[in-house]
Amino acid sequence: MELAKNLQKTLNKSYGKTDLYVDLAESITGIILVGFLWMHMLFVGTIYINNGALFNALSEGLDKYYLAQIGIPATVLVILLHIFMAGRRAPMRLRDLRIAWRLSKMINHYDTWVWVGQVITALLIGIFASMHLWTIMTTWPIEAVKSAHRVAEPGVAFWGGFSIPYYLIFYAIFLLVGEYHAGFGLYRILVKWGWFERHKMGWVLKGITVIIICIGVGALYMFTQVAKMYPHAGGAL
Amino acid sequence: MARQLTFSIFRYNPNKPGDKPRMQEYSFEEFEGLTMFVALNKIREEMDPTLMFDFVCRAAICGSCAMMINGRPRLACKTMTINLPSRITVMPLPVFKLIGDLSVDTGTWFRNLQVKTESWIHTNKKFDPNALEVRMENKIAEQIYEPERCVECGCCVATCVTANIREDFIGATGINRVSRFMMDPRDERSDAEYYEVVGNEDGAFGCVGLMACADLCPMEIPLQTQLAYARRKMAAAGLKLQFAGVKIS
Repeated sequence: MELAKNLQKTLNKSYGKTDLYVDLAESITGIILVGFLWMHMLFVGTIYINNGALFNALSEGLDKYYLAQIGIPATVLVILLHIFMAGRRAPMRLRDLRIAWRLSKMINHYDTWVWVGQVITALLIGIFASMHLWTIMTTWPIEAVKSAHRVAEPGVAFWGGFSIPYYLIFYAIFLLVGEYHAGFGLYRILVKWGWFERHKMGWVLKGITVIIICIGVGALYMFTQVAKMYPHAGGAL
Repeated sequence: MARQLTFSIFRYNPNKPGDKPRMQEYSFEEFEGLTMFVALNKIREEMDPTLMFDFVCRAAICGSCAMMINGRPRLACKTMTINLPSRITVMPLPVFKLIGDLSVDTGTWFRNLQVKTESWIHTNKKFDPNALEVRMENKIAEQIYEPERCVECGCCVATCVTANIREDFIGATGINRVSRFMMDPRDERSDAEYYEVVGNEDGAFGCVGLMACADLCPMEIPLQTQLAYARRKMAAAGLKLQFAGVKIS
């Protein structure tokens, strides 16, 4: 049968391949970013080893082989692409936001709530990742002692000498928010393409996410210990 | 001791001038084997003859009695009150046009879907009434039977965030419907022709994957499998296709 005979669409609805490419781009950028984030956390986790000797060696390696110079802008590009590709799915108009929120409350369905969480964490990541990038770029290169002092920063003292370690709080929240979005994001991509049984796959991804969060929390603790070991910010390792 | 059930039911007749949406309560004692379908009929017969709701078969075949029961889309005939708390809130399905109270017009929506997705076997073979029926392999017949079990109740559409905010999205039922024809060897449509129908944001690529449809389908159709099948098939087809576009400037 000839194609034209069966077309039931108006001219402005003819998409060609655009929708397919956009859908693929959303999934592919998502997978790349999850891979990046998990790799990133494993690299940060190297702070456990030799009080940060491997951490510094990795950082120097990234610089020496131009992986950072290419990798950071490339990652920023992938993030921007992902924001546009995935963002178009999220409810944007006030009307849509209200419908989505009311429906989620009404049906009280687990996966739908998880998705509401994904939308919220996406917004938070937008803010936190920008701040994180700024901090890293303005204090380049990455060094264990430098990072340790940042995490251990006591913050500005309030009345009564009480202070808020804002960097520590920032990293803790960023860790949770980022891993939530990555873990459930990968879950949703795999659900859409249907390669695995989703309940089992969900538990596997939750397991991985918990492990990564533990690595992150442990790394934060290690940074505070390294900072104690080398009390001077410029202290050589 | 039987429980005292309270039904809080959405009331609004858009065709009655001056009528305002409100919740109205009805109460009676639960009895054995009570379904929502029986309860609503009891209320209409004994308490309030103006209550509007749809039903036909009372056996989960016709798909007419879908409604939001305690916030979730269910078939009234298939929902036993024994599995619900003593206070039951009943609302009409969202997305579909409200006829009155719990009655919505799923017919027009599904009629549009059938036309849009051309939900019938496309074949050039001439029908010969005297010939023996062509046999189908049992495995394929069973595969087709799964999506075919859909009763078009509209629960998957009502519970889908995307279908609620994007009017043109054909929902799990629509994609499920097309995937049924994709599996059918009698349908001679090419991948390119299917791609024209569901290879876009309104079809296979529009699903965000919240899976409320799969979790809440009263017929327990494996909708995730169907949605993913259509998505993979359309992606594979789309990547191979050539489009001779017209540049509009």
